[in-house]
Amino acid sequence: MTELEAGGTPGVYIASSEFAEAARAQGQALGFHPASVFVAHPIQDRTDQEVRALAEAAFAEVVQALAG
Amino acid sequence: MPLPEGLVAFVRSDCPTCVLVAPVLRELAGGDVPLTVFSQDDAGFPEGMEVLDDGDLRQSWENTIEIVPTLFRVERGRVVEVLQGWRRPDWERLSGVTGLGPGLPEFRPGCGSRTLDPGFPERLATLYGGERLASRRVRLGESEDPFEAMAGRGWTDGLPVVPPTPERVLRMLEGTPRDPAEEVAVVPPDLVPATVEKVAVNAVLAGCRPEYLPVVLAAVEAACTDAFNMHGLLATTWHSGPVVVVNGPVAARIGMNWGGNALGQGNRPNSTIGRALQLVVRNVGGGRPGGVDRATQGSPGKLGFCFAEDEPGSPWEPLAVERGVAPGRSAVTLFAGAGVQPVVDQLSRTPESLARTFAACLRTVAHPKQALVWDALLVVSPEHGRVFREAGWSKARLRQELDDLLRLAGSEMVRGAAGIAEGMPLEMAEAEIPKFRPGGLLIVHAGGTAGLFSTIICGWVSGAMGSEPVTREMN
Amino acid sequence: MTIELIDPTSERVPAGRSVAPRLAGLRGRRIALLDISKPRGDVFLDRIAELLQADGAAVLRFRKPTFAKPAPSDLRHEIAVKCEGVIEALAD
Repeated sequence: MTELEAGGTPGVYIASSEFAEAARAQGQALGFHPASVFVAHPIQDRTDQEVRALAEAAFAEVVQALAG
Repeated sequence: MPLPEGLVAFVRSDCPTCVLVAPVLRELAGGDVPLTVFSQDDAGFPEGMEVLDDGDLRQSWENTIEIVPTLFRVERGRVVEVLQGWRRPDWERLSGVTGLGPGLPEFRPGCGSRTLDPGFPERLATLYGGERLASRRVRLGESEDPFEAMAGRGWTDGLPVVPPTPERVLRMLEGTPRDPAEEVAVVPPDLVPATVEKVAVNAVLAGCRPEYLPVVLAAVEAACTDAFNMHGLLATTWHSGPVVVVNGPVAARIGMNWGGNALGQGNRPNSTIGRALQLVVRNVGGGRPGGVDRATQGSPGKLGFCFAEDEPGSPWEPLAVERGVAPGRSAVTLFAGAGVQPVVDQLSRTPESLARTFAACLRTVAHPKQALVWDALLVVSPEHGRVFREAGWSKARLRQELDDLLRLAGSEMVRGAAGIAEGMPLEMAEAEIPKFRPGGLLIVHAGGTAGLFSTIICGWVSGAMGSEPVTREMN
Repeated sequence: MTIELIDPTSERVPAGRSVAPRLAGLRGRRIALLDISKPRGDVFLDRIAELLQADGAAVLRFRKPTFAKPAPSDLRHEIAVKCEGVIEALAD
């Protein structure tokens, strides 16, 4: 993602809420904080319907992060 | 913290001379003039008197103590006298007290200050000197590769740069006695004042050694003059960039190359001084390709183009002397140059013939049918220089010959002549047009001793919209 | 141990590495959906793709060969050339 941002392609990274702290720390370590959106954990054992609902719930924030 | 009034001494307990003069200090402590003693290692030494602890060596560092004991006399906030080591008559004169140290020898040299013990100078410079740097600090992330971090921030000219740590910048600043806060120049295009410190940071980036810094500073000063017009040079679509020609004793002192491959790579000051100037323009001035720099094609020399003139081997006076600098002084000359036009002449034995070679090649600078517009810098090699030396031709004589040869027939130069649309205005068809404006052709001497080749460096335009070569003497 | 550098610039802009400018709206934009190959990521991105298309964006799907390593350079290049923005999902 870093290289794409450096090249001028805006991005957003979607992860489960478990990742929030790690993502923040990595941002500190790299000196670079990409746009990110966190969705409720867990992911893996949800039904398709539940995963689609997560996507719908996150969509507005994703658009905001990508398109301002 | 300024030194206190009266007598001030710096000592260390493991210095035999300091131990020797301890009774003298005790005697002076009881006198009329106040005495302050800083101890570099043991606040209990000397015994039997009040001692200030300078264990962190801050006071010693700020007062540049090199020898202990050092004895200052301070009056109204100013140091009026300083002594190093013990010498009775000096100590008596400075303190105003006679009969000091009755059992002591007349004289005993001091020891090294603890600030100069191995490892200490660097450590103390980082500790205390870093506070003197005014620039913003950029703290990198733990996982950031410093070289990628600098490239990612746009600090480079495409090649890697040296990370400007506080230690490196402080070491670079030792290359000049000038105050780091002193403003050197206002740098285009953003018209930002550059301090000695900012130039030093970019000199570190470029890979300069501290002893190159004075040359870099002179180059920045010269480049940012109105006459040189760095702003215009940056913004032009033409290929040119600043070329730095170094004259005087500084060239040898810092190890510059004026011999074989002088215009090429491989010599550190040659390669880094011009680069440092361009990095100042980029990083401080904000001038970069894609932004204000609109060069259509540019040239490799825009990474940096700096060389020294071969003065010892030259048949002529140095460029700087020709341009008004006193002989034996160091100077830089800035020229708005683009690339290298090689000239071969392996058969001319006479100066007349060689001058004709030069003229024929100079005629084509930028375009054979354009005149008065473009400047040029002719770099005459030693083998070619020898032709003129053996014939007894001064530089002025060569210049006169070139001027005569480069008076061009307007009929050949005007637009449309020779089927070429480009050229001089039609009104000039009857005129004789000099290829170069007065002062537009510079001549220097450099290169290896083998090779019957010289070089023309094409310049840029002169006049109100262009650039004038600028020579700046170094102090 | 983090490194501290002295800033060589005029200091007129912030010192950090900044992200690329955001897109001004989605309509008509080509958006890359980069599946990082964790389970359920495809279902998640399928729904995101539908929502993007409903908003007038064109969607191109990409997949990282393995979650563990960064996207290979030719994949990044393809995304950069073909798309104007990228959504990377779904790490858990």
